Amino acid sequence: MFKKINLWHILLILIVLSAIVPILFMVSNSFKTLRDSYGTMLNLIPTHPTIKNYLLLNKQVNLLGLTWNTFLMATIVTIGKLLTGLLTAYAFRTYQFKGKMFIYLLFVATIFVPFTIVMIPNYLVISKLNLLNNIWGVALPQLCDATGIMIFLKTMEKIPNTLIDAAKIDDIPKRKIFFNIVIPILKPSIVSVGAIFFINSWNEYVWPTLILKDKASFTLPLALQNYISSEGGTNFPLAMALSTIMVILPLIIYLIFQKYILNSISNSGLK
Amino acid sequence: MNKSNATIELKNISKQFKKNTIIDGMDLSVKAGEFLVLLGPSGCGKSTTLRMIAGLEEPTSGQVMIDNRDLRELKNDGHTIAMVFQDYALYPNMTVYQNLEYALKIHKVAKDERQKRIENVLETLNLTKYRDRLPSQLSGGQKQRVAVGRGMVKKSEIFLLDEPLSNIDVQLREKARDEIQNLHATNQQTIVYVTHDQLEAMALGDRIAVMDQGIIQMIDVPENIYNNPANLFVAEFIGTPQINVIEVEYKDSNVLFNNKSILADQNLNLKEQKYRLGIRPENLFCSKERQNSQDLELTVENIIDYGRFVQLSLVNDEGLTLKSIVNTFEFNVNEKVFVHLKKATSLLFDYEIGKNLNWGNYE
Repeated sequence: MFKKINLWHILLILIVLSAIVPILFMVSNSFKTLRDSYGTMLNLIPTHPTIKNYLLLNKQVNLLGLTWNTFLMATIVTIGKLLTGLLTAYAFRTYQFKGKMFIYLLFVATIFVPFTIVMIPNYLVISKLNLLNNIWGVALPQLCDATGIMIFLKTMEKIPNTLIDAAKIDDIPKRKIFFNIVIPILKPSIVSVGAIFFINSWNEYVWPTLILKDKASFTLPLALQNYISSEGGTNFPLAMALSTIMVILPLIIYLIFQKYILNSISNSGLK
Repeated sequence: MNKSNATIELKNISKQFKKNTIIDGMDLSVKAGEFLVLLGPSGCGKSTTLRMIAGLEEPTSGQVMIDNRDLRELKNDGHTIAMVFQDYALYPNMTVYQNLEYALKIHKVAKDERQKRIENVLETLNLTKYRDRLPSQLSGGQKQRVAVGRGMVKKSEIFLLDEPLSNIDVQLREKARDEIQNLHATNQQTIVYVTHDQLEAMALGDRIAVMDQGIIQMIDVPENIYNNPANLFVAEFIGTPQINVIEVEYKDSNVLFNNKSILADQNLNLKEQKYRLGIRPENLFCSKERQNSQDLELTVENIIDYGRFVQLSLVNDEGLTLKSIVNTFEFNVNEKVFVHLKKATSLLFDYEIGKNLNWGNYE
């Protein structure tokens, strides 16, 4: 058995450690006192474990409110991106129209436009719409995503034409072909792309900081930033406690859907 | 079920994809309750024709009429056409039962009626025990039956099948073919069936339309397609081993091969020019001794024993190769064989365009 451990295994073990150690580091420090965290920062097991950090955090900020804001924003963005991505991809897949390739390439090209370029125009539009300090202001410019279109189109291209034809012969309305036949086939890739969209949006920082100024509208990453560079210096264990809270939901999502996520990476989900 | 009343008529249909002409001015009419087979090599336009009848493809010009009404009008009144695809196209996320039920449910067929029809079809096709399986859990033959079943539950007057048997094992194919034949005998639907397999076509078709390069070369009952093909293409496409074709010349009431007479007839009224003579392998009369001065002399190159019959490949030094089918095993490799031709069992084709000149007794 030991003979089988070769260089690749060592590399894999290193990669696994580099992923897991920061998480353990974060969780363990969130249970340390401020003094311990400076003295024994690298110890994975706290010498005087305490949940005071969490209790203090609960007093200082509205944890439920923050989580709800973040969840709401991430959910709106994810649903928006999935819906527009699926519909657009289906249109590209099914209909023939003039300039189709050009429009598709135009969509894909938006992937390469850096966020910093659209940041200011987007901000101006959102402020004109009076959506500052509003979750919708954060979500609105993000309801479409060319990455989703591209991934869904690639998956849809694997659906045989005859399947759509068979449904047409059966006089199934277009809407039902889409929802009852295409969507179920795409389920694995919808779940995995959706999970990635959700986690990305959950962690988003720069754009929400621009839109959300009012503390009541903050999302978790914005609140976390307050703990890291607030005027009074960094309360490290407190920041770790908030980080831990922030990681819980994405972690659960990932654990539930990892089968799909891995599946859609290794194949398209279609036999 | 009563005999279907639905007729199908294609009027001067053409179809172009980009600049390629797939179908060129086709006329075709299918009688009510008829089993019509579209037969041809791949790329001849037979599937495109079927797809136009199904309404999946718009003809570039011309009209598809069903029951003397334009197909486009009919589509809107829920007129049902059922179709089976080559790759079956079963809905992968639905069980066998749901696959059969889906279209009926969408079209609001009452639940009792739905159940009755589906149970019936499952029974007929021997699928009852697979009703709760997903398509991915079925074998090729089972999928094919589900695909046929999905067409059957609709009780449509018109049933279109696009190479439904080409993806299943040879052993099962014959059984599935018989099943389709039985279904037609019971349900009497108007069927258009696309295939590239001539045996399937001969076995199933009331009539066969042989297609090549987007044109119907001949449409007729199987016997005539085989015995009296309209042209050289049809003659060569139908029949295994292929029909023997000899380039000949007609001169002074004699059919000449390499300037030697191989057939003579005083009553012929043919232009003196080149022709192509076609003889089916079973119509080459072989013997070990010369019986007539016109007999062709050849050597047995190889022998294939198919069990039911023996196929001889005959060659001579004039570059002639003929295939012959005999029932008895009386010849040996490298042995001399004398072949006698008869006018009544051979076909004469125009040299250039390959048209059958009907010189035999099939007038």
